[in-house]
Amino acid sequence: MNVPIQTESDSKVLEDRKKSIIFKYEDGCTGKGIRCEVDSVSGAVSQRACVYCGARVVLNPITDAFHIVHGPIGCASYTWDIRGSLSSGEDLYRNSFSTDLREKDIIFGGERKLEAALEELINKYKPKLIFVYATCIVGVIGDDIDAVCKKFSDKYQIHVIPVKSPGFSGNKSTGYRMACNAIMQVLNTYKEQPKQKGINILGDYNLAGEMWIIKNYMKQIGIPVISTFTGDSNLESMKKASSASLNVVQCAGSSTYLANQMKDAMGIPYIKVSFFGLEDTTASLIHIAEALGDEKLREKAIIYCEKKQKELESTIEQYRKKLYGKKAAIYVGGGFKAISLIRQFNTLGIHTVVVGTQTGKKEDYEIIESIVEKDTVILDDANPSELETFMKERVVDILVGGVKERPLAYKMGIAFCDHNHERKHPLAGFEGVINFMKEINDSVNNPVWNYIRQ
Amino acid sequence: MTKSKIEPFVNLNVNPCKMCMPMGAVTAFYGIKECISMLHGSQGCSTYIRRHMATHYNEPVDIASSSLTEQGTVYGGEKNLINGLKNLIELYHPKVIGVATTCLAETIGEDVTRIIEKFYRENKEYQGITIIPVNSPGYGGTQYEGYFGALRTILEFVPMNCEKNNKVNVITSILSPKDTRFLKRMFQSFGIDIILLPDLSSNLDGVFKKTYDRLPSGGTSIEEIKDMAGAKLTLEFMNLELESSPGKYLEEQFGVPYRRLNLPIGLRDTDAFIKTLSQISGNEIPGEIVEERGRYLDAMIDSHKYNAEGRAVIFGEPDFVCSTVRLCVENGIIPLVSATGTTKKQMKELIEQEIKEVYERFFIKDYEIIDDVDFKKIENLTEKLDANILIGNSDGRRIEENLQIPLVRRGFPIHDRVGGQRLIMLGYEGSLSYLDDITNAICSKKETTFRDTIYQTYFENAHINNLNIEIEEKTKKHPCFNGCASNSARIHLPVAPRCNIQCNYCVRKFDCPNESRPGVTTKVLTPEEAFEKYKIVKSKIDNLNVVGIAGPGDALANFEETKETLKLIRDYDKNITFCLSTNGLMLPKYANELCDLGVSHVTVTINAVDVKIGAKIYQYVHYNGLKFEGESAAAILLANQLSGLRILVGRGVICKVNIVTLKGINDKHIPDIVKKVKDIGCYITNIMPFIKVKGSKFENLEPVSNKEVNIIRKECADIMKQMYHCVQCRADAIGTLDQDKSIEFEIDKKNNIKQDLTETYRFAVASKSGVLVDQHFGQTLEFHIYDYKDGRVIYKEIREINNYCHGEEVCEEYEDKLEKLLHIMKDCNGIIAMRIGENLKNRLHDRGMKVIVTYDRIEEAVKYAVQSM
Repeated sequence: MNVPIQTESDSKVLEDRKKSIIFKYEDGCTGKGIRCEVDSVSGAVSQRACVYCGARVVLNPITDAFHIVHGPIGCASYTWDIRGSLSSGEDLYRNSFSTDLREKDIIFGGERKLEAALEELINKYKPKLIFVYATCIVGVIGDDIDAVCKKFSDKYQIHVIPVKSPGFSGNKSTGYRMACNAIMQVLNTYKEQPKQKGINILGDYNLAGEMWIIKNYMKQIGIPVISTFTGDSNLESMKKASSASLNVVQCAGSSTYLANQMKDAMGIPYIKVSFFGLEDTTASLIHIAEALGDEKLREKAIIYCEKKQKELESTIEQYRKKLYGKKAAIYVGGGFKAISLIRQFNTLGIHTVVVGTQTGKKEDYEIIESIVEKDTVILDDANPSELETFMKERVVDILVGGVKERPLAYKMGIAFCDHNHERKHPLAGFEGVINFMKEINDSVNNPVWNYIRQ
Repeated sequence: MTKSKIEPFVNLNVNPCKMCMPMGAVTAFYGIKECISMLHGSQGCSTYIRRHMATHYNEPVDIASSSLTEQGTVYGGEKNLINGLKNLIELYHPKVIGVATTCLAETIGEDVTRIIEKFYRENKEYQGITIIPVNSPGYGGTQYEGYFGALRTILEFVPMNCEKNNKVNVITSILSPKDTRFLKRMFQSFGIDIILLPDLSSNLDGVFKKTYDRLPSGGTSIEEIKDMAGAKLTLEFMNLELESSPGKYLEEQFGVPYRRLNLPIGLRDTDAFIKTLSQISGNEIPGEIVEERGRYLDAMIDSHKYNAEGRAVIFGEPDFVCSTVRLCVENGIIPLVSATGTTKKQMKELIEQEIKEVYERFFIKDYEIIDDVDFKKIENLTEKLDANILIGNSDGRRIEENLQIPLVRRGFPIHDRVGGQRLIMLGYEGSLSYLDDITNAICSKKETTFRDTIYQTYFENAHINNLNIEIEEKTKKHPCFNGCASNSARIHLPVAPRCNIQCNYCVRKFDCPNESRPGVTTKVLTPEEAFEKYKIVKSKIDNLNVVGIAGPGDALANFEETKETLKLIRDYDKNITFCLSTNGLMLPKYANELCDLGVSHVTVTINAVDVKIGAKIYQYVHYNGLKFEGESAAAILLANQLSGLRILVGRGVICKVNIVTLKGINDKHIPDIVKKVKDIGCYITNIMPFIKVKGSKFENLEPVSNKEVNIIRKECADIMKQMYHCVQCRADAIGTLDQDKSIEFEIDKKNNIKQDLTETYRFAVASKSGVLVDQHFGQTLEFHIYDYKDGRVIYKEIREINNYCHGEEVCEEYEDKLEKLLHIMKDCNGIIAMRIGENLKNRLHDRGMKVIVTYDRIEEAVKYAVQSM
């Protein structure tokens, strides 16, 4: 069973937050669980972003789309080309378009500005696909972006898709769903394609080329990849999606909703996979082959993975010796990533002593609870002061997290691993296993700590 | 990745060059002692701003949010704000809280002042904490307005102590912590006691300590702020005069004398700053500072010539832009584009005169001073005005990446480098560091590019190895030497029917395959007929610049006709370019005469520079009345080709060498040929595919694919210039390479077609013009479907396909596409195209599809096809 926190740290945690923090009490899982999937506590300095952020994360890698942010400038400014999704085709998605609403637009409404923008854009560039993101104030000032998008879709016979993402209307997960709805609006136009053998890959954003790495595995094993969501995707690739015989979901948090929608609308079954870590990657590749019901592919997958594992063996061992026994804290966006990280740490002999996510789901936390060791602190929607408190209390060696957490770790003299959308090296697949260990080792065994801790 | 070409928009901001008001407000609060700020709005605003600041300052940045939800938005955010304040206090124990509004809070009309009053009423224990509300709607301005707005609100909000003191208020625009520390030190060294608002010197540039303090301890305290009303003077460091300036407020409300100074960046503004400090304090300028100034002057001289080559694009906040422009102007760096995302018309007035001064010195005409601008516009101007250096925050890195122009990073934010918090610009030392960075970026750009640039300009583009300017101009206009880029039209005059060698891939009843399309027979003209034809064509095609003699046999095996033709035309037109193609056997004999006739371009087909290989390609050679075979034939031919080329090159003729790729015979040998002719001084080689001709000795030789030919071309491109665009013209071609018009000028029309066929047929026709069969089968994107019925040719429709062959690219998924094509044409009896690969033709044939190769009007071609069915 688990118990609410009862340590000297107790007094340092806000009353409103206590139910969102649990300790793994003993082996096994009670199912009573953590409070999660709720709104952030005001004033607690949540690390979460907003609905718009979630929507933009999922849609932005679509390379040939125009991403127009309807709202004042901030939202477009802070999200301009900040993520490492790569493209083999166009680079339109690396621009940030904004209607840049001003005071008078707030008073008189921003619809006309949006219409003028769309008119100009369509006439100048004959776009195929436009996403229009609604930000916080759009609904409040009475702009009907659904109507505007529909009007332009009808008039020009192109996809002008509204993305309903006012920041306050939920959290980042809500944004994922809004993005998936927007994708479905595109897919529904092409949902009757004849089926063929092959998969769609969902929930990978081609950060540092990770989608390419995964696609190469598929090629090696002989599994055709029909379409990808949304890493290195474009309208043409999206059109083919409904012909796939299987959907493979990598980031469950952002894309399970889409997989369900596609299942209902197009009859494509899905499986969840993970390409983080040696075990997960191996299991996932074999699983995909199995799900396709092809014994030959399964054998090929097994042989391929064995070969890859052999290649990595000595390198892993070399790092394992250096990392064994270290203590880690994890604070990442979703449950999927946290679970993958804990499993990777387990295989390296690194103890996860603090773990939290911004938007993990109940079922994610159940898994987390079952795979961490006794006394591990589990937090939902943690804030800097809680991270500080528990990292200090548990004397962690390394924190895995996002950009905002990095300076905190450094100020506390703790090593850090960047597991976020801005990274410039792949952490997925067999290649990622090595990069991940290298990054952990680069930081945790860095000579600077010898001087810092003197 | 394909680079998208996006131009600036009228109705859309593309890649913002500004941030929002709350960003400025929280930055101001970071300079207040024991203060933490909270944004009243949805969660994302604080998270995005934290991310932006944390990456720049490399410090933990904690900003709370009232985390407004759907409910808060509908019923008001009072509960969220009040709970948020309580939680924030419990976690951070601040003395001051800045509550800044956001777009959302402002739009739903939150009365933050009232809510805070309510908070105090309900939580008496927190009354000692100063909670300062600031209006900062994201749509109300940029971080620049947000910052100064917050400073002014702080002064308006804090109850003032008007008792006179001897301090000087110092108010600055956003500075890096290190620059702020410099400023404080300067006042100290003159013994001036200051109240700095805000004091950004340490909170965003912390030191490493054993224990981490989540509420940073630096900043201006509320007690100090209270004393600002009693100060003896306010110095405000900002280049633009603000109506709502905090210093003016202190003057209006409390009578504190107000002086505005430009940021001490560059010589003039640092001098003014130091002088002011000296005046205020009554102290002499310390010797150390005098020395620093001297070093800065020394550096200005050392760098001035490098700097004079600087063509800068400067962007960022208005004060930053103004100061940087002034520094640039002092150093002779040309500010081509001065841009801010903030709406500030007055920036132009402030710097235009400065900029003009340096423009007049260096005879520069174009510059742009622009506000309310986005990065797309800045990128556009950077390219248009040909800048060589960018100066501003790291958001300029996309322009740096796209245009390969170095970016000197200053201002906020710096996201792609470490140390944004310690970049310096102020004072002589700061200016020197800034100037060095700029100068070095100019130097580095030059160092890494000057060799290539100079080589391109004075060597490559000038073709200095070519002897004759006139011929060089002609080469530029010659389609067979300069490709489709040239708009020039050419006419090939078929005056040379005979040939003096036998190539194994040639059947003598057709035109010579060395230059022309195989399997085509051209009607031969006499020199007089050719001259007449030339005159007619010249009168109808303006851009006819080239006359060529390319067979149908060998131009030099018919030298008298060739010579006569050229003479007639030369007498008529002095400027026309003459070119000629030959197997080279008679070249040594006629080369000089050709030059005298004004032939400036010659093509020689050389398939081997090794006699053994040559012997496999040539069956015989007729030379000086004798017939040679085997290696002796090849040896004579090769010797004459090479010595002929040497004569031509020596006389400044531009020479092209055609090479037919023969698999298993000369394909591995081709680079040797290219090296050889390069050494002789030829201009270009044209490596061509071998196309099977029925009845020739090589009719069973495996053809090469375009892909294979392109691989060889690419390999040889390292040796010398390659031709990629050869369309293998007919010996009677007229027009530009991609638009042949010879049919329009055909003298003898075909009139031997039987007209009395009654069956019904359907054909797929490859046509670019829609009038002629003028398209290669593999390159057509659409087929024109024609029916033949009762002796009439009837157009049905156009059917689109993905083209079969992409020229340089690989013809992949071969089978798939073929099937697709066959599917598209399943109701057709045949395909009519100008050309088709032999291999493909056979495959289509195997699938029961008749293929007719011809070049004709579509109607005629269809009738012709019917006949052959």
